[in-house]
Amino acid sequence: MRSPLSVTVAVWRAIFLREALDRLFRERGAWFWLLIEPLTHIGFLAFLWGVVRRTEMGGMDVVVWLMVGMLAFFLFRRTGVQVMYSVDCNRPLFVYRQVKPFDTAIVRGGLEAFILVLESVIIITIVNLLGRDAIPGDPLLVLGAVGGLWLFGMGYGLITSVLMELVPELEHIFKILMLPLYLISGVIWPLSSIPLPYRDYLMVNPVAHGIEAVRLGFLSHYHATPGVSLWYLYGCATVSLFLGLLLYRRYVLRLVMQ
Amino acid sequence: MIHIEDVHKRYKTDHGMGRWVLQGISLTIPARTNVGLIGVNGAGKSTLLRIIGGMDFPNKGRVVRQCRVSWPMGQGGLEGTLTGRQNAKFVCRVHGRQDDLADRLAFVQGFSELGEAFDEPIKTYSSGMRARLQFALSLAFDFDVYISDEVTAAGDAAFRKKTAAAFRDMADRAGLIMVAHDEGTLKQFCQAGIWINEGKAHWFDRIDDALQAYRETIPK
Repeated sequence: MRSPLSVTVAVWRAIFLREALDRLFRERGAWFWLLIEPLTHIGFLAFLWGVVRRTEMGGMDVVVWLMVGMLAFFLFRRTGVQVMYSVDCNRPLFVYRQVKPFDTAIVRGGLEAFILVLESVIIITIVNLLGRDAIPGDPLLVLGAVGGLWLFGMGYGLITSVLMELVPELEHIFKILMLPLYLISGVIWPLSSIPLPYRDYLMVNPVAHGIEAVRLGFLSHYHATPGVSLWYLYGCATVSLFLGLLLYRRYVLRLVMQ
Repeated sequence: MIHIEDVHKRYKTDHGMGRWVLQGISLTIPARTNVGLIGVNGAGKSTLLRIIGGMDFPNKGRVVRQCRVSWPMGQGGLEGTLTGRQNAKFVCRVHGRQDDLADRLAFVQGFSELGEAFDEPIKTYSSGMRARLQFALSLAFDFDVYISDEVTAAGDAAFRKKTAAAFRDMADRAGLIMVAHDEGTLKQFCQAGIWINEGKAHWFDRIDDALQAYRETIPK
């Protein structure tokens, strides 16, 4: 008999390899598009800011500012979305009793972080080679903020994947939700430009805190939006993660039952 | 030994919960016993089989397995975008067979006789090819109890002969819980029988008695 831990490790390993194959080689050059998508995104918006002659954002080179913001936001968004669909996409695998819905969720989230770290290293290297100064000045702060964003993405994904199973119509709302979140998280324009009472409302969003903190980690004298707090991000991440785990615990049978 | 304790099951339909399919089934299936499930269509044979195998869960009650139970033979989940080999690797890894992965893969490829198609995505397979792969996957592992839901003979005549031989061999070696509508098949493989009628299960030590009880309820 195998111990429960060794079963779980074997299952995680199997799902990881399976998901990685699916993510990187599902279609022709899938891995290529994973890399090109953020690059074109950054390039296009850098071009737009260039058109209006904006070269700096709070003391930071606008290209680096966009790159950091986008990679940080993509980490949250892609982790959240991938985890949200983890149960749906792996339904045939639950025939094997060892595979639990939670296994697919955690492995998918981990794989997405893994892919995005590789992507980020390549993109940061490219931006550096283009002559922009994109070296993190405080790598620990960057890691801390990125970790918080990933945890919050996991929590978001866990909660939405269960809710979507209970009320299928919610899928439409979750799909729409990511676009406004992208716009109000200060990825493509600075939140510090918003007048005061409204800026504080926008800072309720923990993703904005994470993104600004990553930028601070790249450039310590960056003028971040006031009130940025890693504590707040980690607080939200912890709460959402525990809520997600609670929902999994409560509805684990509902996810696989017919 | 498999203990089934007070299992109730009903399915969720588009308009609320459906009728109770299983209502309070309590059984103990001894080790190394071949059991046939008997009942009319819709009596809940497949439902009970899936619950025993752990593919589905009862609304009430529980199943305790003190042995390794297979998934329903020939019904293993496959991922369409991956190749036969990648799917087989996944199943091996999930079952902790990382060490002799190459052996298992060689067995699956050899038994399924897929040849080069083994490295093609599953979605390009015909239904016969899928069935061959799924049957080979079921036989690639040693379980204490195999579960079989109407393993309809898949593939061409030669492959059918081979699967029948493998099935007989397996039924001698390990326990078997099967659903089949053909009485001949049941009598050939099973010693004991479970007759499912109106949500209740009745255990018979001899399959003939179970078939007898089943036949008496069918209106002439």
